[in-house]
Amino acid sequence: MNTTAISSNIQVITGNAAAAIAAKLARPDVVAAYPITPQTEVIEQISSFHASGDMDCELITVEGENSAMNAVMAASLAGGRVFTASSSWGLVFMYDAVLATAGARAPVVMVNVNRETPGIIAVSSGQQDMISTRDAGWIFLIAENCQEIMDLVLQSYRLAEDYDIQLPVMVHYDGFFLSYLSEGVEIPAQETVDQFLSVLESQPKRTMLRPGEKLGVGTHGILGGYMELRHKHVTAMERSKAKFDAIDQEFADIFSRSYGGQLEEYLTEDADMVLVGSGSMCGTIKSVIDEQREKGIRIGLVKIRMYRPFPHQALVKALKGKKAIGVVDRSLAFGFDGGPIYTELKAFETKLGGAKLVSFIDGIANTDITKTNVKQMIQMTADLADGKDVPEVTWVSYPKANKDKGEK
Amino acid sequence: MAEKNKARLTKVLDYLKYDDPFSKGVSFCPGCGLELLLRFIPRVLGNDIIITGTPSCSAPVLLGQNKQSWHTLSYFGTLMTGAAANATGLVRYYKKAGIDNTVVCFNGDGTANDIGFGNLSGAAERNEPFIYICYDNEGYMNTGIQKSGTTPYGATTTTTPYGTVHKGKNLRRMNLGVKMAMNKIPYTATATLSDLEDLAKKLLKAKKAKERGFCFLHVFAPCPTGWGANPADTIEICRQAVKTNYFPLWEAENGKIRMTKTVKKPKPVSNYTKLMKKFNHMTEADLEILQEDVEYETCLLGGLSVLEAECQLPVSAQD
Repeated sequence: MNTTAISSNIQVITGNAAAAIAAKLARPDVVAAYPITPQTEVIEQISSFHASGDMDCELITVEGENSAMNAVMAASLAGGRVFTASSSWGLVFMYDAVLATAGARAPVVMVNVNRETPGIIAVSSGQQDMISTRDAGWIFLIAENCQEIMDLVLQSYRLAEDYDIQLPVMVHYDGFFLSYLSEGVEIPAQETVDQFLSVLESQPKRTMLRPGEKLGVGTHGILGGYMELRHKHVTAMERSKAKFDAIDQEFADIFSRSYGGQLEEYLTEDADMVLVGSGSMCGTIKSVIDEQREKGIRIGLVKIRMYRPFPHQALVKALKGKKAIGVVDRSLAFGFDGGPIYTELKAFETKLGGAKLVSFIDGIANTDITKTNVKQMIQMTADLADGKDVPEVTWVSYPKANKDKGEK
Repeated sequence: MAEKNKARLTKVLDYLKYDDPFSKGVSFCPGCGLELLLRFIPRVLGNDIIITGTPSCSAPVLLGQNKQSWHTLSYFGTLMTGAAANATGLVRYYKKAGIDNTVVCFNGDGTANDIGFGNLSGAAERNEPFIYICYDNEGYMNTGIQKSGTTPYGATTTTTPYGTVHKGKNLRRMNLGVKMAMNKIPYTATATLSDLEDLAKKLLKAKKAKERGFCFLHVFAPCPTGWGANPADTIEICRQAVKTNYFPLWEAENGKIRMTKTVKKPKPVSNYTKLMKKFNHMTEADLEILQEDVEYETCLLGGLSVLEAECQLPVSAQD
């Protein structure tokens, strides 16, 4: 069934606008947010929708991100559909509430516009904020372009509020590269989104905190009772993998766009070598792959769309038997020889049928992952496949790091 | 005389219209001021309130240990950093969904005055429609008696101990009630456990006023364990705090301060301090500093009430 053809419209909008419009289309009851570069435009747009009556929600203009997360967590546990947005330091400032939201299994949906965190004035793109919060207990999804931001936010509500899941979902997209990038985005009609989300209404109602009911949120937990909650959290996370794949399929039926669920595979089937990436870099990687393919180099891309829970089964399936795999990280893992996603994939190395792994660090602090950089990564991955000596980790845009290991 | 006392007592009991939703025996210390307050609130406001609480002395009873809370109220247990924001999220959703509610955001002075003050201030600015109650025991009691912003001058705590160089807290306490009244919220009041009728009236006023927005109650709640007092003296400590003007009772509608109990001849603050050990080490000169601070705050309160009567807040800002 394709209902979008007649009623959707294509507009040239920024990634932030795509997030804001998607939030509007999901009809949240409560939105609470605090501005931070590069997310600010999201809440400006939502405020504008709210002011003009286009968005019928309670808009809480909080005094800080910590309150934004606490407010939407409580509204969610009371039974509401909620939305918030933040980035980097904002995500860090709400971190205690981020953990509490996950612990309470509140189906909050938010976008996090990835920005570097280590420097106070590091107003630049990078995924360190995502990596630093990866085991908060949230489902983490990553978008590649403005259309995918729109689509992932809509899919997130189906995933978060699903009766079998009930977990918060964070949609990540690269600050600057996507937040301010304008491109054509197909905006679905409200009725189509309503139809897509209506499945949730047919499910059993989740527990909601209402006046006069003998219910509580946030009981102290230790020992056995707490372990039971934690284990249930782990299993719900595991269930979310197949659920996300299924939601993507259903989304394709209604909106005529499919991304492949946990992973998007680009020309991997016959590939000898694969790059593993995430987010906006994947557009560049795909165009370089197209060029390399013309030269007969059999290279493909695995794009990580679901980062938490870590989609290791899908990754092993996609990567098994390849000669060499290059993993591109836009963040750091201290004490490891390689980036965080590389390190995590490395844990499954024995299941990859002998595939060799190599780590690339690039795109941190707003450095462009250029086509030249991607070509270098592909060349090094090819060298690894050919049995040549390749360093385990390469800072692609910072050659000094590769020479001077002992710099202070 | 006996007749008169009996009549007054009946009047207090008249306010207790609802059942006590708390278990008969709970894990509070003997003489805990917080316990009396916690049991009192739902008996006056009803058992259909939603109460929010944070890690604190109230937590084991309010939020439960492992499996169950020790009461039958709806409750929302959360973090000290965001208590007022949680209450905000609840009332905003209920508003959107058209659900009648009375949300009581119940916190100690550590949350209200210190670590959670930012979101308390934000909720006041946005005039969120719920009742915030701070039970002030002048310190971080649950972690073992540490100094807070409302710990008074001179008091010893485990982070302001008596030593050869430093002797107790060398800073004055913050006046949380006045800070909140200055936000011109619909209703602010102070109360304590020696004046339960006054407390009951203020709770009911707050329940009504929250229809217009944010309400804040600053309740003085002694901690015999932390203060080194006889558990049997809790109410007497409250009484002396009022009689010495150490903790004056007042209310403010839209910031207009009005004394609800005027102390004509205030007793010296030593009448209050002598009831507990935390001031034991203070010399007469030290006590004089505390006395002057009490007089300064009382004078300021009087001045504010006069000024507020003279200056008119725009009507549009009141509702």
